[in-house]
Amino acid sequence: MKRFWHVRELSTVAILVLEIIFFGWYLWPEGNRSHPFLNAENALLILKYSSIYGIAAVGAAVVIISGGIDLAPGSIIALASVVCGVLFVDAGWGLTSSLLVALAVGLGAGGLSSVLVVAVKLPPFIATLGVMGMTRGLAFIITEGRYFDLSSKLQGGWRPMGLPADWVAPLIMVGLAIVFQVLMTRFQWGRQIFSIGGNETAALFSGVAVGRIKTSVYLLSGLLAALAGVVLALVQGQGKADLATGYELDIIASAVVGGASLSGGRGSVMGAVLGTLIFGVLRNALPQIPGATFYDRLIVGLAVIVIVVVDQLLLKRGE
Amino acid sequence: MPGLEFRNVRKSFGAVKALTGVTFAVAEGESHGLVGENGAGKSTLLKILAGIIHPDSGELWWQGTRLSLASPREALERGIGMVYQEMLSFPNLSVTGNIFAGRELTARGGRLLETAMEARTAAILDELHLRVRPRARAESLPAAHRQLLQVARALAFECRILVLDEPTTALTDAEADHLFAVLARLKARGVTLLYVSHRLPEVFQLCDRITVLRDGALAGTFEAGNVAPDQIVRAMVGRDLPPRAEHEASGSFGPPALAVRGLTRRPGFRNVSLSVAPGEIVGLFGLVGSGRSELLETIFGLHRAEEGTIQVGGRPLDARSSRQAARAGVALVPEERHRQGLFFNLSLRHNLMIPARTIAGDVLIRGSREREETDRLLAEWRVRAAGPGAMPDSLSGGNQQKVVLAKWLATKPRVLMLDEPTKGVDVGAKFEIHEIIRRQASHGLGCLVVSSDLPEVLALCQRVIVMREGRIQGELVGEAADEESVMHLATSELKDAS
Repeated sequence: MKRFWHVRELSTVAILVLEIIFFGWYLWPEGNRSHPFLNAENALLILKYSSIYGIAAVGAAVVIISGGIDLAPGSIIALASVVCGVLFVDAGWGLTSSLLVALAVGLGAGGLSSVLVVAVKLPPFIATLGVMGMTRGLAFIITEGRYFDLSSKLQGGWRPMGLPADWVAPLIMVGLAIVFQVLMTRFQWGRQIFSIGGNETAALFSGVAVGRIKTSVYLLSGLLAALAGVVLALVQGQGKADLATGYELDIIASAVVGGASLSGGRGSVMGAVLGTLIFGVLRNALPQIPGATFYDRLIVGLAVIVIVVVDQLLLKRGE
Repeated sequence: MPGLEFRNVRKSFGAVKALTGVTFAVAEGESHGLVGENGAGKSTLLKILAGIIHPDSGELWWQGTRLSLASPREALERGIGMVYQEMLSFPNLSVTGNIFAGRELTARGGRLLETAMEARTAAILDELHLRVRPRARAESLPAAHRQLLQVARALAFECRILVLDEPTTALTDAEADHLFAVLARLKARGVTLLYVSHRLPEVFQLCDRITVLRDGALAGTFEAGNVAPDQIVRAMVGRDLPPRAEHEASGSFGPPALAVRGLTRRPGFRNVSLSVAPGEIVGLFGLVGSGRSELLETIFGLHRAEEGTIQVGGRPLDARSSRQAARAGVALVPEERHRQGLFFNLSLRHNLMIPARTIAGDVLIRGSREREETDRLLAEWRVRAAGPGAMPDSLSGGNQQKVVLAKWLATKPRVLMLDEPTKGVDVGAKFEIHEIIRRQASHGLGCLVVSSDLPEVLALCQRVIVMREGRIQGELVGEAADEESVMHLATSELKDAS
């Protein structure tokens, strides 16, 4: 099975590499002008914006592998950015304490999802659809139509732990991807998530603490969505209630492109993060193609289908 | 008369050769038994006949013309009806909806002709002597009726060949008799029957001829009148089976492995008391619906008892989850290995290690240690599998069942509860599973075996507890337990009506 994942992730990497090669070739500049796509600055830009999706995708992938689904990340991202903004900008709290409260709010939203799924036994789709609406609503109630400008309050040379600010989000994403990849494949916790996703009844009949594990999964997803929201607030320098609209579906698409099965029991955290990079490159490169401005959503949608179909064909041939 | 012919049918799945050139004929109007161990190729053959999979080479002929079945629908249209082991019904649809699913009677424009379909359904139900309303939802029907729905569906399609794959697995004897009566009437009407079952007495009762498959090849076709069951079994396994082991006297000391007092959970079971000594194999017999599975699941912590106590190894157990019960030394090999026993997305190693490592409260997965232990378990219980990395769906039913058994034995339980441990398992694997249970009991494990297979209960258990409608009807020990006495208890009226 380990080899299987290995292959799945390799195919995701291959798609990413092909994509970069394609855009590198397509956007090759005439003469001696610098390459608009293949340059270090742009790479960092892609990583920075992808990491908002990527951080949340780690949690979303774990939920999907457990056989569930989480529709709340987009709203939680917005709520976390707003909470961060209202405390840091309006209430004049310190940055660290504002961030921590925003994370706690995300954890609370995840907790609500988990109670609805585990204790009330709602289908995850319904439970998280409700939480999605409530968290988005809460964000609007807090902002009352305003938006919080964090950038003006953040000093220009803000260097957390001595690192350039732009590097922080990508590093968090990569770190989380590695940590949770290991947790999912080498720890009992991860194996129990795979077992629940594969066959929840059998998990129950095998002494797996199904309720406890599922609770942890939704809590994690809420927490990581809030972390993504905090990162977004710092990257974009603002807290707004209508941020990250529809991100939940992009995040789910990334997980699926990265090899996750929506029926549960299959997938990988690393694959989901790579999936967000695939979409990140698309979102970055497409607007640079003259005349493609209005095509990017269409192409992104098409890409989901093409990648998953190609993946399935590869998988079939490998069997 | 040329009936249904299989001519040199071959089928491989990757490296696995499921059928290696099978040739045999079923005469028209005959009832023909098809037997073989799990993995012998019966299912593959049936799937080819149902148009679900296509043979690599070879041909199917029916009444002198070649059948090439592109899809299940085409098989149905050619008059081949299937009754599957796992009941493929639409629980959310009515009886009529189930019978006509996919071939509804419609007026022009696609409007459904409900009345016509219901009238036809009523006629078919009548023919089957089934007292069911055409509008009843399938999920409200008992298992036996849902099974007969598939027969009804085949009738509605005017099928000429009816294929039945282990149709009695979930049925009680009375229900099975009803099914056989229906089949006899169909046969009298000239329907050709192809009957697949592990239960040889049924095959002998029903069939004119019996074809045996072994390892994907034909092992022979026999006239049912001229062959003894032992010969069929030998043809199936390709060797003689060892004689049944004698019961060893169970000298038990110390507290019982499992003691249940006054356990009640309405409406499943009431006031159940029983005990299992270490090293003892106790049978729990009762007809389907007598509350046996729910009792086991309650002891295993999956349900809460309303009243009563459970003790394991002398210590009270008040489990709120299967995890707690398993930690206290209770193991349950559940009835449905597909639904309750195995993770088909995980390799055998993970399947085998999940209960033991989970209840031990480990944090890390130690891969190399687990692989070693898996190798040991697979060898010890003679699971025929490619290795720890193999996936469960590459195993035959008997070997899958051994995996479920082995994963619980790896937890070193005090009491092992088995719910229909050899359901849908071939004869060879059945003996091996019995051997495993006996061996574990001789090492001091207390075993509680639920089975609807009375010969199995009698062969395996020193003591048989009989349940009926959620109550313990009585207990029979040693010689006193025979088919007649047990069935008498299981079917007679309640002793006291309180």
